[in-house]
Amino acid sequence: MHYFLNGSLLSFDTGFGFWVFITTIVFLWAMNKWLVPPIMSALKEREDRIRESLETAEKALAEAEKISRSNEKALKEAEITAQKIRKEALEDAEKVRNERIEKATQDAEKLLENARLKIEQEKKSALNELRNQVAELAVQSATIIIKSELDKEKSRHLVDSFIKDLSKKN
Amino acid sequence: MIYVVRRALATLFFLIVFGPVLLATNADTEQNSAPIDVMGKVINHDYFELFGGGKVYLPRMFYSGGEWYFFRNTYSAIESGEFVRGEEGGIVRADTGEPIAFDLSITSHLMYLWFSLILTFFITYLAGRKYRQGIGRDSEPKGALLNIFETLFVFIRDQIAKEFIPKEKYERFVPYLFTIFMCIAFMNLFGLLPWAAAATANLTVTATLAIITFFVTQLNGTKDHWKHVFVFPGVPKWALIILTPVEILGLFTKPFALAIRLFANMLSGKIMIVCILGLIFVFTELFGAVIGVTSGVFWVLLTVALYFLKALVALIQAYVFTLLSSVFIGMAVEEHHHDHEDSSVANAKDVALQNH
Repeated sequence: MHYFLNGSLLSFDTGFGFWVFITTIVFLWAMNKWLVPPIMSALKEREDRIRESLETAEKALAEAEKISRSNEKALKEAEITAQKIRKEALEDAEKVRNERIEKATQDAEKLLENARLKIEQEKKSALNELRNQVAELAVQSATIIIKSELDKEKSRHLVDSFIKDLSKKN
Repeated sequence: MIYVVRRALATLFFLIVFGPVLLATNADTEQNSAPIDVMGKVINHDYFELFGGGKVYLPRMFYSGGEWYFFRNTYSAIESGEFVRGEEGGIVRADTGEPIAFDLSITSHLMYLWFSLILTFFITYLAGRKYRQGIGRDSEPKGALLNIFETLFVFIRDQIAKEFIPKEKYERFVPYLFTIFMCIAFMNLFGLLPWAAAATANLTVTATLAIITFFVTQLNGTKDHWKHVFVFPGVPKWALIILTPVEILGLFTKPFALAIRLFANMLSGKIMIVCILGLIFVFTELFGAVIGVTSGVFWVLLTVALYFLKALVALIQAYVFTLLSSVFIGMAVEEHHHDHEDSSVANAKDVALQNH
């Protein structure tokens, strides 16, 4: 076979090498300058964004957890407060009831006392009246006795009958 | 869909098996001295072979005898009377018989290199347009192509560039690494087409790519890098007499290894396949057409297995070239933030001190 190119399998062909070098360099330059940078930046942008959103999501999750934890705490506190308030309210109600009862008892006692005092007074005044009447009656009886002094027997009889009358009167 | 793919695969398999066998039976009628042209399959040509065997002759331009010559193709150069076939291949001047001094002809391997570069360029451009539109930037990447592109791109960026080049510098080298990865992968995969050739099976291509890696590495080398080359820190002065030449040699052996590794891997794959298929021709000549054709089934099956291996190797070698480029660049641009001498001896001393 006859080949129309110089050079053997293992030799470096200068002219061909020149072509290879020039074209490769030109293509490399074009790739370096125009074609690859936008791809690099696009990939980087996307990766950065994915990383950022992952980080943000993680942060948000942590925040949410914190919030829910604090919510739980608040709920527990609120429950405790509510229980305390209820307890206080119950205690207050008990106190008020006790006070009322006490007051009612006191009032009743006071009324009773008043009644007792009044009765006592009435009794006193009644006794006074009775005494006055007895005294008057005694004076009357004395008057009668003095009038009938002549007859002792008769007088006694008179007094007796008078007293008998009196007891009958009463 | 699956049915169509299966049909196509079956047809392809049929063609693969019977194509060489039919060719072998016609081998006697051809004028060639050798039944199969192994070298012709792997070396650079002045024509571009099409599917089905058609050839497109490429323009020749070269510098010879103090003058530039431009021809539509090799045959027009010979027809002009100024050049004739050389004795040892190539064309030579008709008057003096001296070979061409500087050949800037468009060749088949150059075409494949250009195809690969343009494909890479085009794919990157399409993907970049999608990203500029916001697909992949604001949303997830949509569509199979963009996803495949992104997988490759992110693989190069994260597994190759970021892995070996310091964090604050790796972004600068991603375009380079991505371009050579895609370009080498495409060139390698072109080599899988039976009528095409792998441009990476050409030492000139791999050497030039390695030279570019060399330049990228050395031009971005830090002060530390050069200090490690010329005055390796932490070793006694007399050892520098040995160490400095070794380090300087190391600068060049790295790209050399890169070039040879890729070249040898791609070349051997192609030669293996051509040779194993060539066994059909050899058997036909030795034992007659019947045995030749019958054994052809076995050789073809072996070739199919090799093809799968080659497809794997095509991607692996592109990966290895890119990976090693990244490693070399990473070593050169690395800055050591140590105040003390950085060497294995110094490190060992540190460890010893820490243990006490």
